[in-house]
Amino acid sequence: MEEILRKKAKELLESGEVKVVIGYGWNRQKTRTSPVFITDAADSDRLVWNPLCVNNLSVYLTRKFKDIQALGKPAIVAKGCDIRNIVVLITEAQFKREDVYIIGMACEGVVYRQELWKGELKPEIMPTKCHNCDVRNPHLADFVVGGKSSFTPPEAPTGMVFDKIKAIDAMGQTGKWAFWINEFSRCIKCYACRQVCSLCYCERCITEKNMPQWIETSAHPRGNLSWNLTRAMHLVGRCTFCGECERACPVNIPLNLVNQKMIQVVKDSFDFRSGYDEKTHPPMIVFSPDDKDDFIK
Amino acid sequence: MADRILKKENLGKLVASVNDKGGRFIAPSLDARQVVFKDVTKAEEIVTDYILARNSYKEYVFPQTEVVADFTVEKHGVDLKSREVEARETVVFGARPCEATSLSSLRAIFTWDYIDEFYTKREATLVVITVACTKADEACFCTTVDLSPETRAGSDLYLLETESGDYIVEAMTDKGRAFVERHKDAFSEGAAKAKTLVMPERIGTIDLEKVSARLKDKGHYDDQVWARLTRKCIGCGACTFVCPTCHCFDITDEGTAFAGERRKNWDACQYDTFTLHASGHNPRHYQYQRWRNRFMCKFNFYPGKFASKGCVGCGRCIRVCPVRLDITEVMEEFSR
Ligand code: SF4
Ligand code: SF4
Ligand code: SF4
Ligand code: SF4
Ligand code: SF4
Repeated sequence: MEEILRKKAKELLESGEVKVVIGYGWNRQKTRTSPVFITDAADSDRLVWNPLCVNNLSVYLTRKFKDIQALGKPAIVAKGCDIRNIVVLITEAQFKREDVYIIGMACEGVVYRQELWKGELKPEIMPTKCHNCDVRNPHLADFVVGGKSSFTPPEAPTGMVFDKIKAIDAMGQTGKWAFWINEFSRCIKCYACRQVCSLCYCERCITEKNMPQWIETSAHPRGNLSWNLTRAMHLVGRCTFCGECERACPVNIPLNLVNQKMIQVVKDSFDFRSGYDEKTHPPMIVFSPDDKDDFIK
Repeated sequence: MADRILKKENLGKLVASVNDKGGRFIAPSLDARQVVFKDVTKAEEIVTDYILARNSYKEYVFPQTEVVADFTVEKHGVDLKSREVEARETVVFGARPCEATSLSSLRAIFTWDYIDEFYTKREATLVVITVACTKADEACFCTTVDLSPETRAGSDLYLLETESGDYIVEAMTDKGRAFVERHKDAFSEGAAKAKTLVMPERIGTIDLEKVSARLKDKGHYDDQVWARLTRKCIGCGACTFVCPTCHCFDITDEGTAFAGERRKNWDACQYDTFTLHASGHNPRHYQYQRWRNRFMCKFNFYPGKFASKGCVGCGRCIRVCPVRLDITEVMEEFSR
């Protein structure tokens, strides 16, 4: 697959169809992958593909990266789950479908965290999203690398995140509150969760609006709670459960639980799952006369 | 004073002695599946098998958030009352030799053009007990910045683990000697054989002198190298928060329109608002320019101004980075 990927990247850069290929490369020791931006066709061989390619590179397509946008049309190496974020970005008018060349990677899963890698992809080191994945064959791409995956996701979602959500739901209101207050109390307000998220693309995050200061910047329990809740609310109906925020969080706050819970609520209320169809707008931004709730009519 | 022994069964005694005398005992312990420095009250909470704690112990001299003053807005104007720091003995157990040296870097900044008492008062009561490394990982690069597990500078007590899990104690400073004296029941006399220390391999392609020299030459400023190597930085700031020498902070007011508190909160050069002017102009417009600042701070500004180090090679920033931006790869590039 790597060879085909490199060849394609080379071709795209040589023909001038794209100006930069956003993909994965090795670190110096070849133990971890790290994002690379190939602008010269001769460097295409730096691209790699393996189960360590966890990052969701779609964040680099957002307006947060003006220097990357300035390079010209990008091609992006993307797994099905990453493509879901690209789809959301398109539905939210961040760019048009034709503004990005998607090199879709047929995928059999990645590691939850790169440091867990011992040379073999075992189910227990894969994130919950991979165990339930219905986009191992990229659903929107200009070119697909790799053969068809025959994986079918289980009927009822499985994995740690789903188990944990059930357990938390059973805790009752006070139990839930105590659980989250404790988790959020560790937050160090680094905003890694926001920075790594391709759907947190606001030019000025609400945390940075300081006249008045909407969200206290201090990492005390009150400030942490308002930050984490606000961010969660801003991702309702949009988050794809790519898991980047939890992976980036340096203090291991289980953000995937928040995200998956919201996804379930949106599915139950609006029968909507984000990131599948670039022509359907997310439920939070559309008005529909046949909305099943009548309070708005 | 001859070296002492801290027997593992006496560690609990030491923790209790510090706590009983009104002090805090900070040690690596498990929190949310990570080894972190935090308050412990029992020896059983202390983890001994770890490389470095996730966080730096700087938060005990430079808290992530602290109230520095209280204010009320009166008819005649604003009434501002400064807070006093009441520092108590704070013992950091299980620091590593690289990060032990970081305290002098923080001191350099916080006593440079202004004596920041919020820092100095805490540092005065801080005791750094280093445990030398018998394990390292691929992110460790102390030897490349001329430090090593044998470095004793910065430690008040320098401990070597023995085969049986005890510690040989070397008191390095007056503060360390006074500490042993104050808690002498926990220490004993004796001799033991230390475990072999690990020695991370020096990254041969890095030459610190060359790095500094190249950074001094202003021509590098718009070098394409910055964009090429560091445009992947997403500006999360996690590296700066875990870094033992990063020290930037912001002052913010919280409360109502009429009363509240003024806080000193960690800030980071990796954030776009760090240099954003009121006019809307941002001299560090792109993320790689912000990253350039972090590197310049560590390898040009610091060595230019102070005798202490800007980077101690602990590797925390490498481990925590969600895009695996490895500072040593940039050091390598600037050693050419
Ligand atoms: S969720 Fe699917 S596409 Fe994404 S990494 Fe896992 S298996 Fe691959
Ligand atoms: S999982 Fe996290 S990073 Fe990914 S889309 Fe959802 S909120 Fe954003
Ligand atoms: S990444 Fe984690 S610690 Fe950082 S702001 Fe987000 S929740 Fe808080
Ligand atoms: S820059 Fe990185 S390696 Fe250097 S002291 Fe800071 S965290 Fe440690
Ligand atoms: S941790 Fe990595 S991505 Fe985050 S600011 Fe530091 S270098 Fe950039």
